[in-house]
Amino acid sequence: MKMKFTRENIILGLIKYITLGLLIFAVLFPLVWLFAGAFKVEKQILSYPPTIIGTKHSLKSFSRIFQSIPMEIYLKNTIIFSLGSTTLALLFDSLAGYAFARLNFRGKNFLFVAILLTMMVPFQVMMIPLFLESHFLGILNTYQGLILPKMTTAFGIFMMRSYFTQLPKDLEEAARVDGLNEAVIFFKIMLPLVKPGLLTLGIFHLMNSWNDLLYPLMMTSDVKMRTLSAGLALFVGERATTYYGPQLAGAVISIIPLLLLYIFFQRYFVASVATSGIKD
Amino acid sequence: MLKRIGAYWNKPSKAAYLFLFPSLITLFLFAVIPLCGAIIIGFMDLDIYFSKSGFAGFNNFIKALTDERFWNALKNTAVFALIEVPLQILIGLLVANAVATTSFFSKFSRTIFFLPVVCSMAAVGIMWSILFDGTIGFIPYVLKQIGIEGLAFFRDPKMAMGTVISMTVWKNFGYTMSILVVGIQSISTSYYEAAKIDGASKLNRFFYITIPCLAPNLGFCLITNLIGSLQVFDQVYVTTQGGPQYKTETLVQYIYKTGFSHPFELGYASSMSVLLLIFILLLSFPLYKKVFMQKEM
Repeated sequence: MKMKFTRENIILGLIKYITLGLLIFAVLFPLVWLFAGAFKVEKQILSYPPTIIGTKHSLKSFSRIFQSIPMEIYLKNTIIFSLGSTTLALLFDSLAGYAFARLNFRGKNFLFVAILLTMMVPFQVMMIPLFLESHFLGILNTYQGLILPKMTTAFGIFMMRSYFTQLPKDLEEAARVDGLNEAVIFFKIMLPLVKPGLLTLGIFHLMNSWNDLLYPLMMTSDVKMRTLSAGLALFVGERATTYYGPQLAGAVISIIPLLLLYIFFQRYFVASVATSGIKD
Repeated sequence: MLKRIGAYWNKPSKAAYLFLFPSLITLFLFAVIPLCGAIIIGFMDLDIYFSKSGFAGFNNFIKALTDERFWNALKNTAVFALIEVPLQILIGLLVANAVATTSFFSKFSRTIFFLPVVCSMAAVGIMWSILFDGTIGFIPYVLKQIGIEGLAFFRDPKMAMGTVISMTVWKNFGYTMSILVVGIQSISTSYYEAAKIDGASKLNRFFYITIPCLAPNLGFCLITNLIGSLQVFDQVYVTTQGGPQYKTETLVQYIYKTGFSHPFELGYASSMSVLLLIFILLLSFPLYKKVFMQKEM
């Protein structure tokens, strides 16, 4: 369709591109400043007038953050927690989602509604009893304690169910006629068909657990068990440092892994958000 | 015997229970029990050392309703929700409308706008705290150059909440945008073409086609953002810790402090989280109803 150069179109177009340009700047500027700041020498961070990129750079802030707090342990814990819970959640959510989407059994509707209801109760409401429960189970400050409560989510079940529902009908009937058992049908035939769903849910879960703050903060009091988010928040919150560089370096270290993933799997990041928006 | 057990469980109607088992047991252990626990503990006098424990009746709830700090936290949470949510949806909507096309510039913009969503609130909080720091921050320096001086942002009781809200919008508007872009892209182009032929202006098309067609998506964003904003914690915890002068202390922040730092009163904290649940349900049920009714139309 041909664009008409009416006065309205030109003015709206100008407003649109100028606003978008400013917005892109507003989003990018703090990030660029953060990355540059992490490499600045401390003196330049404190210097007046402040600069964006700076002229003297070093890795001093990075070595300082590793000396102040056990970053390598935080990094390890975050990886174990987020990859562990994501892997288990992918398995269990797709098993449950598959059952709700493709199998008929007694109590299906009741169980499904019950699961949806748990989705409505925010974590913050349950955090104190969850803390006590983990204490009594003896899993506070352990990887099990971090991973077990997160190894399935009502949202994930809901999402995988919608992916399985979209598959063509009677797909599994043919396999049943061939005498394959239910587990083989699920793992060998059905699961490979929902790979995009698994990737989308996986990214969603990974991002949430990597960035989660309140949950690991509560479940881990031991320094050796903290995740990056919790460890950094406590480090900054305690005002334990008068240096600014290490704080910036810590922030950079914590966001780089997800940023790299985002660059390669952008489609799935956006899809994970978008599918959470289409609830039918 | 084994074969018979195998055959029994291999029927689809039976295998389903095996498939569901891990999820159901996890949700029961770590969602249903804690939820019931929250209500029970809310009625108990309990601290983290178990030095006291006993039935407290409605004492905790009465305490909350007469606790000035609770009302302050509730007020702050409400202020946050009432400003942050409409702002985020408005910006998300306008941006989504501008970048929902398939041009390179649109795609590039969407990539950039989603970047902050990927970053953790802990990192974003650190970044904003230093960027807006009154003495060494870059933003106060720039403002000084144009004649605005002495703003302390996170440290100013009057500005702290506004700064926390701005930071949250900065981090999250890309999220709302992504949901709405999908919604806009699924609106049939024939509507727009018909409107164009009838001579409807761009603004008219936006108000009379885009917005009505997006109503379910907007409703969804409203519900999830509202519920999320009532649970606001991370951004406050990493920047102001509830200060200055409790001006940014939110409900969850206060619950967390009550339960997990001095005075470690789990019973009282839990009763406040039950109140939080009641607020959330009161708010979300009417909204849910509205959104679902719209969908049926």
